[in-house]
Amino acid sequence: MSELRADGFPESAVRARARSGTAGALPDLAQYGHALFGADPAQPAASRADPLDGLRLVPPVFVPGRLDKLLDLAREPVYRDVDLATVVGGFRSTLPLYLSAFGSTRAATVDLGLAASRQAGRLGIPMVVGENVMPVNGYGRIGGDAQRSLLGRITAYAAHARDEGGGVVVQQSTEDADAEVWNLVYSDPNVGSLLESGRLAFELKVGQGAKPGLGGMTVLDAATAARLADAYTMDPVFGRESGTVLRCSSPGTFTEEILRQQIRLMRNNFPRARVWVKLPPARDVGAAALVAWQAGADAVTVDGAEGGTGWAPVAFLDHVGLPLGECLRRIGEHPSCLLVSGRMWEGARVAKCLALGADAAGLGRAALIAVDTDAENGLVNLVECLALELQMLISALGKYHVDALAAEDVWSPDAAFPGSSLPPAGQRDRSDDLQPSR
Amino acid sequence: MTQINLTRPVGCPVGAGRPLPSGPREHLSSPVTRSVLTIQHRMLIAARDFLSGQGFTEFLPPIVGPVTDPGARGAKQVDVDYYGHRYKLMTSAILYKQATLTAFDKIFCIAPNVRLEPLETASTSRHLAEFHQIDVEMAGASRDEILRVAEGLVKHVVQQVTARLPGELDSLGRDTSVFADLLAEPFERRTHADAVADLHGMGHGQSPDAEIDWAGEAMLSRKASKPFFVIDYPKGCRGFYDRESHERPGFLRNFDLIAPEGYGELCSGSEREHDYATIVARMRETGENPAKYGWYLQMVREGIPGSAGFGLGLERFTRYVAGLESVWQASAYPKVPGVASP
Repeated sequence: MSELRADGFPESAVRARARSGTAGALPDLAQYGHALFGADPAQPAASRADPLDGLRLVPPVFVPGRLDKLLDLAREPVYRDVDLATVVGGFRSTLPLYLSAFGSTRAATVDLGLAASRQAGRLGIPMVVGENVMPVNGYGRIGGDAQRSLLGRITAYAAHARDEGGGVVVQQSTEDADAEVWNLVYSDPNVGSLLESGRLAFELKVGQGAKPGLGGMTVLDAATAARLADAYTMDPVFGRESGTVLRCSSPGTFTEEILRQQIRLMRNNFPRARVWVKLPPARDVGAAALVAWQAGADAVTVDGAEGGTGWAPVAFLDHVGLPLGECLRRIGEHPSCLLVSGRMWEGARVAKCLALGADAAGLGRAALIAVDTDAENGLVNLVECLALELQMLISALGKYHVDALAAEDVWSPDAAFPGSSLPPAGQRDRSDDLQPSR
Repeated sequence: MTQINLTRPVGCPVGAGRPLPSGPREHLSSPVTRSVLTIQHRMLIAARDFLSGQGFTEFLPPIVGPVTDPGARGAKQVDVDYYGHRYKLMTSAILYKQATLTAFDKIFCIAPNVRLEPLETASTSRHLAEFHQIDVEMAGASRDEILRVAEGLVKHVVQQVTARLPGELDSLGRDTSVFADLLAEPFERRTHADAVADLHGMGHGQSPDAEIDWAGEAMLSRKASKPFFVIDYPKGCRGFYDRESHERPGFLRNFDLIAPEGYGELCSGSEREHDYATIVARMRETGENPAKYGWYLQMVREGIPGSAGFGLGLERFTRYVAGLESVWQASAYPKVPGVASP
């Protein structure tokens, strides 16, 4: 375990799960018979800013879905009968989860990135590789440090992946276009098996949750900064004597037409790869998501303002961007796959997002902390615990497939979440999501 | 020392096209290669005669530069360390063709290009990672005018080869009667939308927003008896320099020339964008970072002529004229995508 910290994030709870796995879904066993448990009244007040925390999942008495499952099984169903396998951005996934991008930021060390890649492969969930990994750490084919590179992350995942399911998603943002990350990956023999098994996607990064309206940022030492000065803005905000500079990507200029045509060009140029689009929690997130889907994106990823990051200005962390819950409300009914991220680490928050229309949730900080806790099994343990919670929650709602979660399953104390206006997720035919859209 | 062999890349489906030779000696000393290169030599003479006769000036294009054509679908550019600057080998001469129109109104070049194509193209029989284009650009020209130049060029070259080298064609088993329609009749023009509808009619799931895929193109090509133009491609499938139609927004004033008998695309061209603001917006639509196009945007900002032009793939054209199974047969030192070869 390193000195990695995540202030404002339930770090100790994540570390506990990374150690104990499914046992983390229940109170400490040592307290059994000695303590009484109930809701913590301090909890909702502390997190009022996050609309998702204000929601409650509400099981019904009458459960026709359970009757269907009873008939199917010829016995009373239990929570372990809940099927969590689904389709995530065109990939079959064992769970409604994916590994979010962590880029080249120093907190996401090469070792943590590789450990997370291996465990995501084992779990059979898709993995996104951050936009600036290649421009900063290299690709890894000729010269350089192969392990540190983008190819290192991809091959770590592929080497541990199951025979089917999951997939690798490679991000690119505006400045990365100079390095032609996608073109390089698409023409690389090392990536051929992923491409041939339909498990490669490219993600157009339009923005991210922690700093919507800004591009990617990392802190670099002077020597690295000099090497990359052609491609990025280097801002000496820390003073010249610090020996470090702020490396900034531009956010990139987008209009409806620019976004639409970029997606079409991705589909045209990389017909065998899936297309994902990552949006920031912007005020027009609903309109932007619709443009992306209509242009043929296989998935739109929305990173809420509570999303994690390696580096961002304090003003942005505290004051900029919509919370994920509000993004979900603004997107509302939608035609295709919606993926969400932002403070995901346990089952209830994921279940609420799925009920409000998302198809899967991304693990970012939680995954990093988990592999930092246990490089071999931390992420697997955390995810197994999350999966158990999801099965318990979904079965309590009288449902036995993760895709059946719907707006009826959540209750909001305020009228901002008119459940009836949200699409019943179970009514969407997700088998369509696996059909090539071209 | 590692022996470099002409072997197929990992993951490449075997069976499409002629097997590669074991090395350069076998390839270069083959009578087939000699006949093919003889035909190609005559094609170059004929192309230069035709274009020079029409008032075009030949120029020698650069091989490396800070930026090159981003419009090659899915292919990777080759980076070159140029005194510490990241330069590119040319994927096409398009940016330099537009710039060179500030010297002459009608230009052409025989341009070498390098594109690290996706591995799936190794099995199309018509992709090379290193190839040449007969590149033509004409200031002030409309698409109609440049289509006439392209059609005239193809007809003249085929006429010259069939008239002067019947023995070489015969030795390759190429029946010259297949060129009767090409030489006698005008080339048909059909829109991309019509081509998509044709393919849907044949049960092929072609996207209406995208480039016609390799399989679809081969299907259309096999149905034809002479080359034909496909015009008006949708915007999302070409580079920023192909001009968008004012009358039909979302569609380009561009074209491909498709050879018959399954040989497929020979040539791409277009009327060009030359307005600064339009080019910058189109760069963003094609995912490009305008910052790296410094010298080009500076020229565009100061004014370059409107134009139309095309690039005619020399090895593909040779393959069609000589009736070859694979395009690599039309290169002395073939570079098939993914194959490490001399």
